[in-house]
Amino acid sequence: MKYFAGIDIGSTAIKVALVDESEELVGHRISASGSMFYKYAKQSLKELLEEFSIDEKDLVYIVATGYGRKLFKEADENISEITANAIGARAAAKGKCEIKTIINIGGQDSKAISLDSDGNVVNFAMNDRCAAGTGKFLDVVAMNLELEVDELGDYHFRSKGTPLAINSTCAVFAESEIIGLLGNDNSVEDIVAGVHYSIAKRIVKLVKRVGIKENIYFDGGPALNAGLVYAIENELSKEIFIPEFPQITTAYGAAILAQESYGYEKEEE
Amino acid sequence: MINKTRKHKLESPKQKHNRHKATEAIMILDKMKHDFKEPPKAMKYFYDLFERVHCKNEPLHSDKVKVGTMCIQVPSEIIYALDAVPLRLCNGFYTNDEIGSDFLPSKACPLVKATIGEFVSNNFSDKPDLIVSPTTCDQKAKSGAIIEDLGFSVYDMEFPRTKESHESREYWRRSVRKFTKDLSADLGKKITKKRLKKSVMQVGYAQHLYHKLNVLRKNIKSPILGIDMFLVTNAFFFDKIDKWIEAVDVLIKECEQRVEDEYDCAHKRSPRIVYTGSPPIFPNLKIPLLIEQADAIIVADETCSSNRMFNDMVSVDEWFVNDMIDGIADRYLKGCTCPIFTKNEDRKRRIIDLVKEYKADGVVYQAFAGCQVYEMEQRSVLEAMEKEGIPIIYLESDYSPSHLGQLTTRIEAFVESLKNRKRKAK
Repeated sequence: MKYFAGIDIGSTAIKVALVDESEELVGHRISASGSMFYKYAKQSLKELLEEFSIDEKDLVYIVATGYGRKLFKEADENISEITANAIGARAAAKGKCEIKTIINIGGQDSKAISLDSDGNVVNFAMNDRCAAGTGKFLDVVAMNLELEVDELGDYHFRSKGTPLAINSTCAVFAESEIIGLLGNDNSVEDIVAGVHYSIAKRIVKLVKRVGIKENIYFDGGPALNAGLVYAIENELSKEIFIPEFPQITTAYGAAILAQESYGYEKEEE
Repeated sequence: MINKTRKHKLESPKQKHNRHKATEAIMILDKMKHDFKEPPKAMKYFYDLFERVHCKNEPLHSDKVKVGTMCIQVPSEIIYALDAVPLRLCNGFYTNDEIGSDFLPSKACPLVKATIGEFVSNNFSDKPDLIVSPTTCDQKAKSGAIIEDLGFSVYDMEFPRTKESHESREYWRRSVRKFTKDLSADLGKKITKKRLKKSVMQVGYAQHLYHKLNVLRKNIKSPILGIDMFLVTNAFFFDKIDKWIEAVDVLIKECEQRVEDEYDCAHKRSPRIVYTGSPPIFPNLKIPLLIEQADAIIVADETCSSNRMFNDMVSVDEWFVNDMIDGIADRYLKGCTCPIFTKNEDRKRRIIDLVKEYKADGVVYQAFAGCQVYEMEQRSVLEAMEKEGIPIIYLESDYSPSHLGQLTTRIEAFVESLKNRKRKAK
């Protein structure tokens, strides 16, 4: 059996996905990017192979993506995260629904991608302002509220009052807004809901730039936050599709591409 | 459904609109309640009122016919006399501004866009049965037709664009007489001497209370902040008039006590500001808020959402229906200082008078980007102030929550310059 790997080296996390000859996801691994992307990426791949007892010889093709992709010299090919994301999203939703729009919130950026019915990227938009409304932003919020990031979703649904808006587009100013709201005895739940809706509004503006076509797919770490998902759905007034493993869509797309590229190369030979 | 196991149902368009409005409303109320020294206790009525109406969409006038007014120029005395309730529909929500943007040019006035947006969303706490749209500024005059297309019943009330001439006075008086006749026929209610006198007296009493409260701000230690004052006058847009009168009465007593106790709701060196320009309408009170957060205090204003609504009272020679109607008409034309008029010396005079009477240190002139007449009149007002040696700053803004940083910097610098002037004058 031959295996193919996609490695997505992001600003915050390194995601590795492994597929087999039939493009089925065999396994995946998520680790922090830390300071030495290259070293950690290699280590992560090695651990993944060990976990599934796959011989390194059977790993025949690697595609790297993400903004650190050029640092991973062993890759047979590298590709932009936009293309990889599109391929991964279509594949992850295969048999469930056809994806035409992708929302991706990463550690330090957010994207909206529009696809045609063949899955080609026709348009995309990225946030033009710093880290506001990204995963990093949620980290900062959680820290200010003395919560863990994965608690934010539950807090959202416990909000009884009106969500409190965070108007600043800058993570630093937003921090002081949150502190101000806390100081005025507002409930943490309402602040969390407000943060989610503020991000959601910003994301919806981004999606509107590329056009909203159903179905809509949402990936990246923040897609694990059910409160944020619900906020985006409400702002869009549309349901969105959340994959089983939202963090690895792009790596999965890269792995599928690895399998396809390997096929072409074999044909050429 | 994509996710078969969903736990939380998606919001309906109305729920979403309500949430957007509630968030905007609660954010400003939160700041008003907490960012300053203790507000008067009687302000609680107004904070609660805005929360009830804007966060909970609570209707106040279910049992009455509601006449929506698109501008300050529609005589509320006549509406009350016909047993209906006037509801001023000029809107201050950014979320409505965004909705209305699809219906108007991108450079249109945010107030007009927001008002249209409220009609598009059709999500009123008190839905008006009839809309009266005076032909005041171009954008308002034209929005009547847009609102009619949305399925509302709209009455155009003709309004002149000059105010000095005899012809314009006659023209407007005729317009008000016609409005009275038409509304009376429409509502199937007869206007009587007794009813009209009663409503003139009642609105007049509300105006009297406004003045009584307002003059307390002449004290060097003002008992109430400008932003709270804006909330009180904004409430007059939609509150039950008798409830409003009761609440203001209580507020006056408390403020009088504060004056006696020499309580200062600002600080010793806080510059005193006269606010003029496009109307601050809840929840778009961001400029007044920024001014007072920068440690200045608004002691008087010249805007149609506040002072102009109360300033001039109806003056009647004889208490006959026709005389009262003419008196009412005059109040709305002659007293008005809106920049839609060809010449507008009255407005400059009023600002200067306010600065002198209320011992103000400077003037903030704010125009909505897209509110052409205020933008155009800015130059002549600035010149007039300069001649008088009154410091003035001109700001352009809209309803969006961004650009707050730049506005803050400009306002803070202006306030500081006023503080320096004060210090040097000593």
